[in-house]
Amino acid sequence: MDSFTIGIVGVIALVVLVFAGVRVFYAAAAVGLVGLISMLGWDAGAAMAGTIPHSKVVSYTLSVLPMFILIGFLAFHAGITEALFDAGRKWLGWLPGGLAVGTVMAATGFAAVSGASTATAAVFSRVAIPDMLKYGYDKRLAAGVVAAGGTLATLIPPSAILVIYAIIVEQSVGALLIAGFLPGIVSALVYVALIVGMSAINPKLGRPITGFTWPQRWKSLPGTFPIFAVVVIIFSAMYFGWATPTEAGALGAFVVFVLALARGMRMKGLRDALLESAKLTVMIFSIIWGVLVFVRFLGFAGLPEAFAKWVVALDVPPIMILIGILLFYTILGMFMDAIGMLLLTLPVVYPAVIALGYDPIWFGIIVVKMAEICLITPPIGLNCFVVNGVRPDIPLGAVFRGIAPFFIADVITVALFIAFPEIILWLPQTMKMG
Amino acid sequence: MTPDRPDAPSAAAPKLSAVHLLLGRVETFFNLVAALCIFVLMFLGMAQVLGRKLFNAPMSGYIDFVELSMATFAFLGIAYCQRVGGHVRMEMLLKAARGRLHWALETFGIVIALLVISVLIWYGFGHFLRAYQLGDSTIDAQLPVWPSKLLVPIAFALLWLRLVVQLVGFTRLVRHPAAEPVAVPTVLTVEQLAAIEIEESVGKVTPSKGGG
Repeated sequence: MDSFTIGIVGVIALVVLVFAGVRVFYAAAAVGLVGLISMLGWDAGAAMAGTIPHSKVVSYTLSVLPMFILIGFLAFHAGITEALFDAGRKWLGWLPGGLAVGTVMAATGFAAVSGASTATAAVFSRVAIPDMLKYGYDKRLAAGVVAAGGTLATLIPPSAILVIYAIIVEQSVGALLIAGFLPGIVSALVYVALIVGMSAINPKLGRPITGFTWPQRWKSLPGTFPIFAVVVIIFSAMYFGWATPTEAGALGAFVVFVLALARGMRMKGLRDALLESAKLTVMIFSIIWGVLVFVRFLGFAGLPEAFAKWVVALDVPPIMILIGILLFYTILGMFMDAIGMLLLTLPVVYPAVIALGYDPIWFGIIVVKMAEICLITPPIGLNCFVVNGVRPDIPLGAVFRGIAPFFIADVITVALFIAFPEIILWLPQTMKMG
Repeated sequence: MTPDRPDAPSAAAPKLSAVHLLLGRVETFFNLVAALCIFVLMFLGMAQVLGRKLFNAPMSGYIDFVELSMATFAFLGIAYCQRVGGHVRMEMLLKAARGRLHWALETFGIVIALLVISVLIWYGFGHFLRAYQLGDSTIDAQLPVWPSKLLVPIAFALLWLRLVVQLVGFTRLVRHPAAEPVAVPTVLTVEQLAAIEIEESVGKVTPSKGGG
């Protein structure tokens, strides 16, 4: 067999193993190991694979990941959800569907910092749904807002998944984090426009909540401080380059840590947050080195270049190929965790997309947004199950119907990003380089 | 992701259960070390940026130190994560497969994992040994590299033991598909997963109306 054929066999073997339910990092490392051995011989191949876990993982760029993860787990102990929701309703309640609008903005803020989409849906089901129902809001709208609000987690910094993308495709972590900011805000605003529009047409969905005074509004802001602090620290550190991502993450984590202590976090809470952070960290690092063993093998087989050449030679407009790839991600995302999906596919898909002439930063934001949409689509739609679990009085069917408009809004948002790449690329282009 | 819940000893397979629990303690300890290193990294990173910006006095060798210490949280928790079923996988077919076929698929996954990890322990140890014998150190701060590299075969060895326990656990279920699962993580339905996510983020929810 020539090396190219071995590469194809390897890809097929990986797909089979992953479908059979082998944990992704074992599957990727196993195929990579066997592939390297078959090309380089037993000793050279296995020795090369044996050096990859340590040499690839022990890299300063990757040290930002545990910091962002820690921020997320500590954020749950900082008691910011109620404060955010309170500020959201006081500032935005006067709009048609105002409570739902306030919920979306509050959930966006919390999701951005916690990075935990599903957990955001759970927390806001408890915080925001009772209030919305009290004011006679439509059950489906209330459930849909909460389930969808969590999905805005991954674009606004700090975002672990954007860091992972940056590392796998060897792009600037800072540029990706900055690039995610505007699309995250745009996604939230599209949600807001959707709620306001629907409620203006049909006031029964959700009425405006008025009667808050300006002093009340201003007083609601200090409680939301940690969110702004973390986003501002990370955003400004990346944008002006006054700290590395790891340092900015450490500073952000420290701010949230101090606030969590002030809010009465005890030893048990800290221990849990740290253990959970360690678990998620090792999970991500394992899959990174596992996939990198596979990538080393693919490189020897010359497969990514061959695939890219093939894709470029296709007699199909690039935009059709792009849409095809995005549809592929939508389907895959229904069955697999976003991190696993991106790491597994990017080594082959990314060079092809770049060869088609698309921007690496832009593509990163698009795929991450796609992965996040999958959290609300059937058949899995974990967020919807979570809302139904917290509020058993809202049937699952109603949650899925409630989410439908938000799903359509997301598709429109992605279309916007494709039509106007400046939404993504403008901010990173104005960055001070160096 | 599956959470870690304190396991109770099981009467169905007492020996297996005892080994599972004993190993679990070591794994939790390893994960705790990893967790503490993340905590220390937070203080280090903060000290570094404040020292540089406020006092114009950055710590020398900061990056070298961070890089070498990364081996702790990158590897030490790997067996813990395996125990609680935390490593990413696709469960579509596993969920569809029932009874013996289900346990056979799980066993297959463990066999693949054992083969890979066995090779990586051996060659990971070789990677450490070369660094140790040559006295490799980092370029900037001249820190020795071998302790960091040694963590890889150590963490993988613990993972290897965990995989053996799970292999025994799953083959037992292949033989007796209806038996109570012992010492293995089980596949959760999306409803169970949702219930766990809720419990972790907002606490227990009583099924009565108006849980808020």
